[in-house]
Amino acid sequence: MTTTRRTLAATATVASAALLLAACATGGGTTTPSGSSATSDEPVTLTWWHNGVAGDNGQNPLGDLWQELADDYTAAHPNVTIKIEQIQNEDLQRTRIPTALQSGDAPDIFQQWGGGELAAQVDAGYLMDLSSVLSSDIDRLGGAVAPWQYQGSTYGVPFRFGVEGIWYRKSLFEQAGITSEPTTMDELNAAVDKLKAAGITPIAVGAGDKWPAAHWWYNFALRSCSKDVMQASGTTFDFTDPCWVDAGKQLEDFIGTQPFQDNFTATAAQQGATSSAGLVATGQAAMELMGDWNIFVFEGFAADDAAKEELRADLGWFPMPATTGGKGDPTAALGGGDGFSCYKDAPKECADFLSFLVSDEAQKRFAEKVGGLPVAPAATSAVTNENLQELAAVASNAGYVQLWLDTTFGMNVGGAMNDGIVAIFAGTGDAQGVIDLMTAAAATQ
Amino acid sequence: MAAATDTLAPQARRTRPLFPRIDGGTWISVGIALMAIAFTLGPILYLILGGFKTQNQLASDPVGLPQPWVWSNYADILTAGIFWRQLLNSLLVAVGTTVGVVACGTMAAYPLARYRFRGANALFVLFTTGLMFPLTVAILPLYLLLRDMGLVGSMWGLIVPQIAFGLATTIIIMRPFLAAIPHELEEAAFVDGVSRVGFFWRILLPLARPGMVTVGVLAFIGSWNAYLLPLLLLTSGAENMTLPLGVTVFQGRYASATTSIMAYTSLAMIPALVFFLILERRIVDGLTGAVKG
Amino acid sequence: MTTVTAPAREEGPAVDATSAAGTRPTPTGNTTRQRKDTARKWAEIGLFVGPALALFLTFVVYPVASAARYSLFKWNGVQQFSEATFIGLENYARALFGGTDPATQAAFRTAYSEPFWTALGHNFAIIGLSMAVQLPLALLVALTLNRRFPGRAIARTIIFAPYVLSEVIAGIMWLIILDPNGIATRMAGAAGITMPAGGWLESQTWGFWVVFFVVTWKYLGLAIILFLAGLSGVPQELQEAASIDGASWWQVQWRINVPLIGPTIRIWAFLSIIGSIQLFDMVWVLNKGGTTGQYSTIASFMMQVGYFRNDVGFGSAIAVIMFLISLVIALAYMAVMLRGDSNSAGKAR
Repeated sequence: MTTTRRTLAATATVASAALLLAACATGGGTTTPSGSSATSDEPVTLTWWHNGVAGDNGQNPLGDLWQELADDYTAAHPNVTIKIEQIQNEDLQRTRIPTALQSGDAPDIFQQWGGGELAAQVDAGYLMDLSSVLSSDIDRLGGAVAPWQYQGSTYGVPFRFGVEGIWYRKSLFEQAGITSEPTTMDELNAAVDKLKAAGITPIAVGAGDKWPAAHWWYNFALRSCSKDVMQASGTTFDFTDPCWVDAGKQLEDFIGTQPFQDNFTATAAQQGATSSAGLVATGQAAMELMGDWNIFVFEGFAADDAAKEELRADLGWFPMPATTGGKGDPTAALGGGDGFSCYKDAPKECADFLSFLVSDEAQKRFAEKVGGLPVAPAATSAVTNENLQELAAVASNAGYVQLWLDTTFGMNVGGAMNDGIVAIFAGTGDAQGVIDLMTAAAATQ
Repeated sequence: MAAATDTLAPQARRTRPLFPRIDGGTWISVGIALMAIAFTLGPILYLILGGFKTQNQLASDPVGLPQPWVWSNYADILTAGIFWRQLLNSLLVAVGTTVGVVACGTMAAYPLARYRFRGANALFVLFTTGLMFPLTVAILPLYLLLRDMGLVGSMWGLIVPQIAFGLATTIIIMRPFLAAIPHELEEAAFVDGVSRVGFFWRILLPLARPGMVTVGVLAFIGSWNAYLLPLLLLTSGAENMTLPLGVTVFQGRYASATTSIMAYTSLAMIPALVFFLILERRIVDGLTGAVKG
Repeated sequence: MTTVTAPAREEGPAVDATSAAGTRPTPTGNTTRQRKDTARKWAEIGLFVGPALALFLTFVVYPVASAARYSLFKWNGVQQFSEATFIGLENYARALFGGTDPATQAAFRTAYSEPFWTALGHNFAIIGLSMAVQLPLALLVALTLNRRFPGRAIARTIIFAPYVLSEVIAGIMWLIILDPNGIATRMAGAAGITMPAGGWLESQTWGFWVVFFVVTWKYLGLAIILFLAGLSGVPQELQEAASIDGASWWQVQWRINVPLIGPTIRIWAFLSIIGSIQLFDMVWVLNKGGTTGQYSTIASFMMQVGYFRNDVGFGSAIAVIMFLISLVIALAYMAVMLRGDSNSAGKAR
């Protein structure tokens, strides 16, 4: 009697647990299989991962813009639901996207930085080919799409592209008695000395996230290596030219002048008032080597609109100073952008949505509301920030623009390269070590 | 286990506890206990209290009590939904793992404990070698296997391997348990015409319950705290993640909002601590039982 | 470690109780009946052992065997395995000394061999430090707590609590505390200690020690509680007799209690060592082993290269090495145990 009841109870528990598990398990995935039917009336859910997270002041202009655009799109296409997950940049690029792509349980739309990263994803069969379905957009956006193309096809579209240089606080420069923007490394070193004398941290670098530190090396390499060597390396992964080691040596010398804040390997790039961006935004450091997006990262630290205005007025920008003796084109610039790709199995509405995201209208809103540099030529008129205009001018006058080296070389070699460069910063590695790590990574891929 | 020697002169059995006087020794014990408590509890209290502060408060007065007590950090998390979703996920996975491990493990331990057959020893050794293969060692090929089986992204992809990897410990703990049950019971049951299966289900299991609870508790804790497998499998979104993984995602996203992260982490600690408080006796007994062998 | 594993019983698989188990009184029937009984017996065995065996073979044995196989190939885990290149023991060579190809040896050494030995060194350092630091400390605390005093039960509960927490959650907690601008710096400053260059975790010299401190915070309670449980099994008469004979408290502890909980200590040591080899969650959450691998472990190195750099062959080789090390330790442990068993007199069964 009691045993029967117990048996029944046990069976019921197991059965309901199983049902519950089954229900929850199937509810886990949100990607719908690619709909080949032409009808646009079936309900479609798109999952979208992007890196627009709230800044230190709690505001999130980029995230808000994406949400607005998603809402506009779903209003026009009522059968489409868009689920957004905002993920911090580092997590997104280094952990979430790789694990999602490898497991096959990936979002429909996700952030895409192009170059070798994109190539690796295409080789692995993760990306949707957008060449035909977005052909008019690709034509409209122009040459900036190149990093998102591979073997003649396009696999992503950019919404932002710009070159990098050194952002600085005008007031701190004044305080230290620096009257003109440095144009050579010697002038930069002199400026660093003046800042140190005035008790100001000269340069902030977020070595904790690795890539901000690595960008110093990329720029030295850009100045050191000839255009042919540089542009060939993306496909040949040949780093035997001495210019590569030379870049590391120049970096070692530069670090030797101690231009950075303390504990730089523990400093993040964008999160918190003690990140490298935070240090410059709060006036605790004078300079940071960064790209165009940094303007809205900086503004994320300003408590209100008045503070934002003040900050905007106090920010200056100059391109990476020239080095001596390198074979690189002195007008070459290092740059990169952000874009989005569609997962291979995403519904076709994904491509349609991408087209909407990079439309001229959306790009104009991007320039106005977020303050970044759009890609669409029609939207560049909406850029009002002086620094960004200068940045855009440098980009268009550059002999050539080289994509960030870690994006160019891909996760494997790029990751190894960043590790080697951070080791130089930490004092545990040297210039040759970077080359060794890159060669090893290239040999095993 | 302990070599009991009786070679000392017979003593009247002392009824008072040893070293009973409140003497310097007691004070030393209390002192050391307090230090150990401070060492253990200090960081946890800092975390919990930090969740009640604002960022500025945390920066200016990290050690003191919150002034005033800010409820929004905890309240926002508790009302947002994602925390509860992740809690439910963790719960389902842990329950599924525990039920599976206890069921399969106890069932497997039964013949190994009480039957005599060729290969019994070999089977037991096979399961024992499972101790040498923790999940971490097998993770890369296991992940590839799960991917090929299409179990990625589903909770079964977590539950089934966790059951498999918990079997070694379970069988090792349950076998002596089941073996210790007297044979008279079994013979009596057979005389009464009860089948082996019936004997297992009606008589053995209830008697083995303490062991099953121990094993279940260990399996539950192991599953609840798992990180590596969920990291690789639960990739499709924060609402499908288990709690430890969810905490890391929350921390990555809101890294500058330290007090929020402290609140989230504190809340994530609570289920484990509650579970522990209720079952502390069981957990400790189980571990020490396994240790004493 | 997130799961507790109990070691293999030292006295081997044959348990006394089974010697008479399962032998029904043989029915005096014909052989068909006996065969039916045997068949039924095997069916029952299959029913009981089947599920566990199936799960175990599929999800434990097969992956581990696969790891051994994959370790002989160069494979990125994405392409089909049939397209992977067979390279024999090259992955192992690469990990141990940079590979057999002199052209790439220097590069591979920097890229793979040095981080491998660094990580392995960290694992062994943790093991050594656990024995040298955690063991005496836990023993001392357990001995002093092994008496009646007010609040004993509460103290034991609290001391054991960190063990139940997830390594991840404990890690994040300590990440906040050890932030260069966090409370640890402030409290250390008040005590006159300056934060090392780079930060508590990122310091090249001190990062590892700080991580060991965090690991100790998490697992010291386990040792203390296990030792206390062992101590509670020591008969009171022994201690009383010794104290009556004039032994001081310290002598009683050292001469009687500690030797008698020898088995408990040994088993804790075994669990601790195996757990130290597998350490992953904690170091991964603490910034993935450090920006330059200041506190990387074998497991974190394996994941970094094997998974995030898509080198499944190399990662599998590391996994196999991890397994072999665990195996050697387990065998050594059993050898010590068996020798200890045969040495100690009057071991009750």
